[in-house]
Amino acid sequence: MHSAILQAMNGISLAALLFLLASGFTLTFGLMRVVNMAHGAYYLLGGYIGYSITRQTGSFALGILGGGLAIIPLGFLIDRFLIRRTGENHLAQVLLTVGIAFVIGDLALKIWGGDNLKVPTPMFLRGATELPGGIIYPTYRLALILIGIAVGLSLWFLYRRTQIGAVVRAGVDDREIVSAMGINIDRLFVLVSALATFLAGMAGVVGGAFLTLYPGAEWEILIYALVVVIFGGLGSLEGAMLGALIVGLLDAYGRWLYPEFSYFVLFGPMAILMLFKPQGIFGRSG
Amino acid sequence: MQANQVRSVAALIGLAAALAAPLAAGPFWMALLTQILIFGLLALSVDMLLGHAGLFSVCHAAFFAVSAYTVAILQVRYGQPTVIAAPAGLLAGTLLAIVYGAAVRTRGVYFILTTIAMGYIIWGAVYRWASFTGGDNGITNVPAPAIGGVPLQSPVAYYYFVLAVVIACAMGYGVLVRSPFGLSLRGIKGSESRMQSLGYRTTAHLYAAFVLSGAMASLAGVLYVYYNKFVNPVTASFNISIEVALMAIVGGSGTILGPFIGAGVFLGMRNWVSSFFELHAAVIGLVFIVTILWAPTGIMGIVRRLSGQNDSAGSKSE
Repeated sequence: MHSAILQAMNGISLAALLFLLASGFTLTFGLMRVVNMAHGAYYLLGGYIGYSITRQTGSFALGILGGGLAIIPLGFLIDRFLIRRTGENHLAQVLLTVGIAFVIGDLALKIWGGDNLKVPTPMFLRGATELPGGIIYPTYRLALILIGIAVGLSLWFLYRRTQIGAVVRAGVDDREIVSAMGINIDRLFVLVSALATFLAGMAGVVGGAFLTLYPGAEWEILIYALVVVIFGGLGSLEGAMLGALIVGLLDAYGRWLYPEFSYFVLFGPMAILMLFKPQGIFGRSG
Repeated sequence: MQANQVRSVAALIGLAAALAAPLAAGPFWMALLTQILIFGLLALSVDMLLGHAGLFSVCHAAFFAVSAYTVAILQVRYGQPTVIAAPAGLLAGTLLAIVYGAAVRTRGVYFILTTIAMGYIIWGAVYRWASFTGGDNGITNVPAPAIGGVPLQSPVAYYYFVLAVVIACAMGYGVLVRSPFGLSLRGIKGSESRMQSLGYRTTAHLYAAFVLSGAMASLAGVLYVYYNKFVNPVTASFNISIEVALMAIVGGSGTILGPFIGAGVFLGMRNWVSSFFELHAAVIGLVFIVTILWAPTGIMGIVRRLSGQNDSAGSKSE
């Protein structure tokens, strides 16, 4: 029982991290119809930059902010000058962005080396906290859950309760009509992709503090984020929340109960869901 | 010269060069050439879906790996001879393709994502199920294949064997893509709804193409494990699936020679660049970017444009 709860906590904290990455991915797809496989590379690069900032300044908060902000111009240039050229050809997008991820990953390897780097966390987030019920759990992972909830709530508020969110939702539904109504859809694209890249870079710093950063981490996390958006439905923010929880819990319990088949526990249900309901749980058809 | 003549001459020169290669090439080049043929075959299998049916499968490494692992396990752990292990490998990969063929229920980006997930299932299985697959270390010491009790020990003999298999496959592939079936696939690529309204059961056609293509990838897996002498989870990785698709595009998607040229460029470059330049993965990434954005028809497309045969042969294999 005790370990079942611990595994649930592990799953939820992983879900919080995955949500940071998947929310951006799903919104860029929903609005711009872009499948960006370089999203994992944004995560890794943001993490490395945040690592260096934290080491230099000693401030974890500054590292998170810097790691997120540093990726925004990069993501903008890649989107504007490379991805935009592929139109809506998903095949070309996938291959192109995989190529971009190779370049980013290799340059990061050159700069930060091949060792596992752990982003240093502030003192008050180290160690463990005793929860009601006598469960002792790492403080950092508890904080991660809080960060995930805070980001999730803010995004949900932005998306559902503000004017910008309304325009984005309208753009997801039908961007031709939105631009016909005189709204500058291009500016909206830039805004959403800036938010998505910021979240990816920030996720790298936050994730790098407990999963560590290493060459190849970008693919592992990207695949998890893909599963999240597929479960939830491409383009749906609520779907990304639910999907993150499903994937986090499947992964934690899969690793615990069936260590040899943990990937099957994760990808098997996803493949089956894709076959019968490719739009995911929250996605709409079309 | 007519387009067809150009092609026949090019094919003959290529064949003569491939046959004569062992006379001039040392062990390093023999190994590289064998590898190019095997990965070219895998790229060709991916391109059956990509270049003709318009489906981008990202799980062909799974068929490749399942057949390679089956051969390796049967040979090394159960001491089975090649006549049993090789067909069993081909069968195992093909059976997986029969199951994974369900992916043709989806289209476009959903097909890509479904096949990514399917590919990761196999990668996860060979990586984590260590008691059966050897985990990260994989399975080593696969013996040389023996045909009729005669082992193909020398790299040159194995090269000729691979060459023969690849030529047979390429010829069969050529017949297939020119057949009404191949035509129907290109019809679906052009407009699926139009083919449906003409009365074609498009999903059944795509399923058949998927299984055939998976069987071909499995054959490449059998050839690979006897060439490489060991197999590990990298064989099943997402990267392999992506790289072979890129080989097909670099060489020229929708052609027969293209995937082999692409495999040659890709593997040759990787060997060459990594010998003097540290950032070889970045260089390969740049090749991805440049090809996709500026040369989507690949080398065959460029050659075709230069030789001025823009309509007659061009539209036939489009």
